[in-house]
Amino acid sequence: MTTVFTQDEIDAVFPTVSATMADALGCDVEDIKPNVSLIEGLDAESIDFLDMVFRLERAFKIKIPRGKIVENARGTLTEAEFELKGVVTDTGLAQLRSYLSEVPAERFKSPMKVADIPRLFTPETFCKLVVQAQRDVKAAA
Amino acid sequence: MALTLASGLAGRTVIVTGGSRGIGRAVVELLAQDGADVTFYYRDNAAAAQEVVAAAKAAGQTVTAEQLDIRDSAACASAIERLADRRDRIDLLVNNAGVIRDNPLSGFADADVQDVLDTNVTGVFNMARAVAPYMISQRGGKIINISSVSAEKGGRGQTNYAASKGAINALTRALAVELAPRRITVNAVAPGVIDTEMSAGVREMAGDEVRARILLKRYGKPEEIAYAVWFLASDYANYVTGQVLTVDGGFKMD
Repeated sequence: MTTVFTQDEIDAVFPTVSATMADALGCDVEDIKPNVSLIEGLDAESIDFLDMVFRLERAFKIKIPRGKIVENARGTLTEAEFELKGVVTDTGLAQLRSYLSEVPAERFKSPMKVADIPRLFTPETFCKLVVQAQRDVKAAA
Repeated sequence: MALTLASGLAGRTVIVTGGSRGIGRAVVELLAQDGADVTFYYRDNAAAAQEVVAAAKAAGQTVTAEQLDIRDSAACASAIERLADRRDRIDLLVNNAGVIRDNPLSGFADADVQDVLDTNVTGVFNMARAVAPYMISQRGGKIINISSVSAEKGGRGQTNYAASKGAINALTRALAVELAPRRITVNAVAPGVIDTEMSAGVREMAGDEVRARILLKRYGKPEEIAYAVWFLASDYANYVTGQVLTVDGGFKMD
């Protein structure tokens, strides 16, 4: 089952997420469109992802464990259902498409390596990450 | 161009592990004397740590001491988070804390190997991992690891210690590559035999033999290592990264 995020939830965090990303990537906040590919559209590198997560944790006072986006995207699927030898299964790909609904369909390649999943990430993906973390904080409280 | 003489250390947020004694203490004292805001961590010796803090305070310097076991990654992360909340940024990490458990290989207990690797290697990873996000985020910083001449010129009974310091040299070079895009420099200082409590065993056991192999015919002083750390920490070393600076009086292998 895929977690559902409302547009209001995304809109509520997007201004801070986009400003944080612009700082991390050294670009204008206007360049941070919700659905732009962070790697292909904004030239983000792995060190930038670490920086973005770190900045988001501090900006929203949340904790984002390493690998959390893929874990969230996997939903209720087991690791074996989601991937086989580093390649996303058909079931996993369907789940990924559903979770990353903001990503244009043509960007989901098949077969897709797990290591290539970050290529799909967009600012909206990080908005979902933040919203989920905020929900987790509320649930824990 | 006009050359200037200013280290740039005044007001910087500096962290030193193992700062209550020996080389660490000399580093704390020198960097604090140059105006840095120094926080140092110690594991066991609270009395020695308080002595360092009191001396700094009396001299009008800013030095804070906190107990921390650098083998505990979560504790390292929390300590750095608290410091960053207080100081807003982290400019320099000096990974100095280390232990020595010399023995011939076949005489090692498991703990002799594990303690040395946990403190000397894992501890450095833990502290570097804790500060790196702040330095990456602020696009600058320096990490200085205290290695040892043992990494390149191993001595009898030091396989565990030599291996740990060899790992530090390798880590220094790899981390320098990884962090260079964010203008973070990573270097190491490799002391020879320094006149400290930690090296007392080596000096007592093989003093004459060791001294005979030092070109300058004397042991080093803690402050002579601190000056090398100070250089690498200063703005004068902004173009130096991935290096291991040996300060050993010309220690040679036979």
